[in-house]
Amino acid sequence: MLAVMIWAVFSQGIARDLPVGVVNFAPGQMSQKLIRYYDATSAMQVTENYSSVAEAKTALVRGEIYAYAVIPNKFETDIYKQLAPQVSVFYNSQMILVGKLLNSAFLQAQGTFNAQISTGIDLAKGDTTLLSAMGKAVPVRTQITPLFNKNSNYAQFLVSAIIPALWQIAVVVSTILILAANLRGRGLNAWLAKRPIRALCSTLFPYTFIFALHGFAYLCWFYLGFEWPMNGSFAVLVLAQWITLIACMIMGCLFFFLTLDPARAMSFAGAFTAPSFAFMGITFPVSDMSGLAQFWRSLLPISHYIEVQVSQVSYGQEWLKSLEHLLPMFGYFLPALLSLLLIRKHLRHQQELDTLSSQPNTTKESA
Amino acid sequence: MSFLALLKAELKALLTNPVVILTVFGGVVFYSFLYPLPYSHQTPREQKISVVNLDMSQTSFKLERMVDATPQVYVVRRDYSLEAAHQAFLQGEVSGILVIPEHFYKDLLLGKSPTLSYAGDASYFLVYGTIVEGLAQAGGTLAAETKVAKLVLDGEPLSQAQNQYAATKLNLKPTFNPRMGYVDYVVPAVFILILQQTMAMASGLMVGTQKHGRGYWSRVSTSKLMLARVGVLTVIYYLLSMYYFGASFSMHGVNQLASMGNLLSLLLPFLVSSCAIGLWVGAVTPRRELVTLVILISSMPLVFGAGFIWPVEAIPSAMVWLSQLFPSTPAIKGFLTINQMGGDWSDISLPYSQLWLQSLAWILLAWWALKRQGRLNNHH
Repeated sequence: MLAVMIWAVFSQGIARDLPVGVVNFAPGQMSQKLIRYYDATSAMQVTENYSSVAEAKTALVRGEIYAYAVIPNKFETDIYKQLAPQVSVFYNSQMILVGKLLNSAFLQAQGTFNAQISTGIDLAKGDTTLLSAMGKAVPVRTQITPLFNKNSNYAQFLVSAIIPALWQIAVVVSTILILAANLRGRGLNAWLAKRPIRALCSTLFPYTFIFALHGFAYLCWFYLGFEWPMNGSFAVLVLAQWITLIACMIMGCLFFFLTLDPARAMSFAGAFTAPSFAFMGITFPVSDMSGLAQFWRSLLPISHYIEVQVSQVSYGQEWLKSLEHLLPMFGYFLPALLSLLLIRKHLRHQQELDTLSSQPNTTKESA
Repeated sequence: MSFLALLKAELKALLTNPVVILTVFGGVVFYSFLYPLPYSHQTPREQKISVVNLDMSQTSFKLERMVDATPQVYVVRRDYSLEAAHQAFLQGEVSGILVIPEHFYKDLLLGKSPTLSYAGDASYFLVYGTIVEGLAQAGGTLAAETKVAKLVLDGEPLSQAQNQYAATKLNLKPTFNPRMGYVDYVVPAVFILILQQTMAMASGLMVGTQKHGRGYWSRVSTSKLMLARVGVLTVIYYLLSMYYFGASFSMHGVNQLASMGNLLSLLLPFLVSSCAIGLWVGAVTPRRELVTLVILISSMPLVFGAGFIWPVEAIPSAMVWLSQLFPSTPAIKGFLTINQMGGDWSDISLPYSQLWLQSLAWILLAWWALKRQGRLNNHH
């Protein structure tokens, strides 16, 4: 349900026709042509014409438009006189994604416009062919290839990272809910007194299938349903998901057995998992994070998983090589050990309470 | 019970409730450090790339040096075939490739406009954007230089040639976030969401904790209790918001353009409605840990639906309508407008009235839910 909502937000995939404004001080053929070029880019749509810069600025601040271009006085004459008039563009960079899109769209439109005008001027002089005039106008051409995400689809880019982050939250949180339900229903002693590891594992084991099924479902949804390119093998990803979900469940156990209070455990889980998307390194590269950020990142199970996912889906690496990303997962034995110690402590505490009061235990929750 | 005594009891209940204290103070302070942490370097720099130079002319070496000199990219390898560069890319040694074609120099002089090829890893958009930006910048500079050189060869004076290499010039100005910093982008909006979510959790947990017992809260009317609870939490959150908008923003170097009065008056409906949402969630959920759960998982859709990551125009209208029901959406818009973009009060009159409408609606909803729950409790 939530996953579908997230996908719905980004379903368009590519931001098209963002509203931009124009302040045209030189109404004429040339400026109209330039405006048409802006309008013709896929990212922008010229929606408004303003008569003054102040009006355009207010609209920018109010968020009605994302950018405005100021076409200067005598734009047309200056072009013919080859005085290179300057068009100023102010774009809203508070939203970095939109800002970057608009930046490249303006550059592209202006580049095309310039090339066309220079070619036209050269051709008008005579003694040249179209090809050489174009060569003169555009000395170097460029070809830009986005690898692994051919049409720069934002849905593919963001959703394939957000959903695993949500999945991690779901696993940790459900683990806490399951443990809380068992504590309520069976009581600590009856549930865990004898052979706590086995009891705990047998409680949680059936649920791992449900979580793994969720994980597998979103993989199928992305790469079979949407047919996003997939270069690796599903088997490796499923294996990585199993390891990840076990790590998540260990963290869930740790949070729960810290206090035995589901509400507090939930707060810990929230603090731990909620910002995990920011730390995954998909939106902001890991190599540019500070040491402390990288440390926190390495504590989150999902950030190890996402590396496997990228290395499989995009790069199609060998399975052994991409599973190397999961080596730090062995570190989760430590929280597992800690939660066992905590269980022991709680059990001992419980038994002391029981011996102190001859009555059968009444309530355990520290409400 | 007098109202003053109620306020006292309410404050005491709040401060002695470990879960609420953990969420409110722990959560708010912890997040204020944790959230900006990954972005502390603001923009990615010096992304590693490989150059495949098939031309080996002087101009192509010059281009290599120009590429290396941009702050965005850093040439770590030189490969002699595209295949080798591709392998290095797959190994993760580089995240971008520049290919200089054969006869680049010759074609350049012949005016045949040779094609430079860039490739970047689009699995990571920011990395890709940075690499392409750096390469395009270097390529553009080389193109301009070539053009000027040609114009000079054609007999134009240098100063004129320098001005005329393009028919028109483009002056692109990033506005409101001139350094294009990631912290300036994420922090102001996400902090507002954090305030809303932790506040809703706090008020929801208060309701959830007191649901299965009797105490001062059973002796007063629902509306009086709500008034006291909203009042106490709003005052506490005013203090926390001041920490966010003041100390924390200064620490991260985020713009603070709004006047104090404007900020405080915009905060009021935002905090009241956030608190009311919490009361409602607390009343309708059977156990208090579910309050945290509901609010926790709602964060992600709220943050992506708010329109600062992905433009509102590109979000399906059903999602936009849904997100407009929660205070974070108009509040993020309002606070960004006055505090980051330097807008006037008149620019945010729409989000401001929307926030008041929301507070009214959520308060009514919360009152109804609490009333119903109170009746249920009396039955038992």
